[in-house]
Amino acid sequence: MPGGPRADRRDFYEILGVSRTATQDEIQRAYRTLARQHHPDVNKDPGAEDRFKEISEAHDVLSDPQTRRRYDAFGPDFRQVPEDVDPEAFQRSRAGAGASQARGAGGFGPGLGDDLGGINVEDLLGGIFGGRGFGPIPGADAEAELELTVEEAFQGGRRSVTLQGADGRRTLEVRIPAGVTNGQRIRLAGQGGRGSEGAPNGDLYFVVQIAPHPRYRVDGRDLYVDLPLAPWEAALGTTVAVETPRGEMKVKVPPGTSTGKRLRLRHHGLPHPRGSAGHLYAEVRIMVPAKPTDEERRLFEQLAEVSTFDPRRR
Amino acid sequence: MGYALVLVRSASLNLDAFARATGTHPDLVRRLVALGILDAARDAAGELWFAPSQVAVMGRVQRLRAGLGLNYAAVGLVGDLLDRIAVLEAALREARQQGR
Repeated sequence: MPGGPRADRRDFYEILGVSRTATQDEIQRAYRTLARQHHPDVNKDPGAEDRFKEISEAHDVLSDPQTRRRYDAFGPDFRQVPEDVDPEAFQRSRAGAGASQARGAGGFGPGLGDDLGGINVEDLLGGIFGGRGFGPIPGADAEAELELTVEEAFQGGRRSVTLQGADGRRTLEVRIPAGVTNGQRIRLAGQGGRGSEGAPNGDLYFVVQIAPHPRYRVDGRDLYVDLPLAPWEAALGTTVAVETPRGEMKVKVPPGTSTGKRLRLRHHGLPHPRGSAGHLYAEVRIMVPAKPTDEERRLFEQLAEVSTFDPRRR
Repeated sequence: MGYALVLVRSASLNLDAFARATGTHPDLVRRLVALGILDAARDAAGELWFAPSQVAVMGRVQRLRAGLGLNYAAVGLVGDLLDRIAVLEAALREARQQGR
């Protein structure tokens, strides 16, 4: 991860999920299985590449019996320990330095990797895919889901998104264009997998997912909202206020409106950056009082006596 | 017909340009075309032309080969399967949203 902590601190056995006494066969098997799962072209998760890198590093060290022995003896900093150092003397000096904090006096300080810095496992291996005779290889594209509210999709704006990688988190500032829809992809150039040997990085794509909303239903760029009406409002017609992402709108309900009728507010749905906006549909639902007062009941009864309307007549 | 060919050529890369853009050897590119892993059009003179999208395909081929030690036949198979999975995942996402 650029600027992030280095990945070579976690225990290589733990990364491969094998015991310290694992055979070479077990190490190979664990590596093959994990590499298939986390290869950045197979696994689009933005953290997959870092995990793949860790897995590859762990395998590179543990699959060679000689480097494995040195890793077991000297730990993650084994590459900085000279070839002729005796493991037991190393352990003693390390313990001594740790107690006195006297750097240099004991030979190897506790922060060996940092002190001798500059040597990075990645440099030695030439990056995740490089350094093995393959030449420069561009990074893979990664993909993550981005859940937005209807309001965010309507207005657009900026949003910070934190992604969890194997070696730490990173926060990205994502510019959300107004009028994104479900399934649309927002591209962050160069934020995907890293290219090796100067090859370009991959891109990171956020796939937009509009979260369920208590009021709006989303279909493409069209929005649907319930419009509850009293029976007399629906019968006689009225003007009511409807909540839209743009604010309240007055909607004229024509007389004789039944449940299910859709009143269209042209272009009041989600905006379209390169075209016409979606519509907002107010769907009529006629509601009756659950507990009518005596007076209401009497008037409904009177209406029932007088009216010849039969909604079931064909 | 001739009109379409001009259009394709203007946006495409020839073999040498494609090999340069992907940091690979033209012989390898030719082999991958023969294996059906890279898509290329052949013009009247027999020269290969590549759509810009094939640069990303080549990157994936290199990563799968270097990262998993796949041979080119396996790379072709994995590439086809990954493309099919991408289509299925997009359809699944759409179906899930409509089911809400």
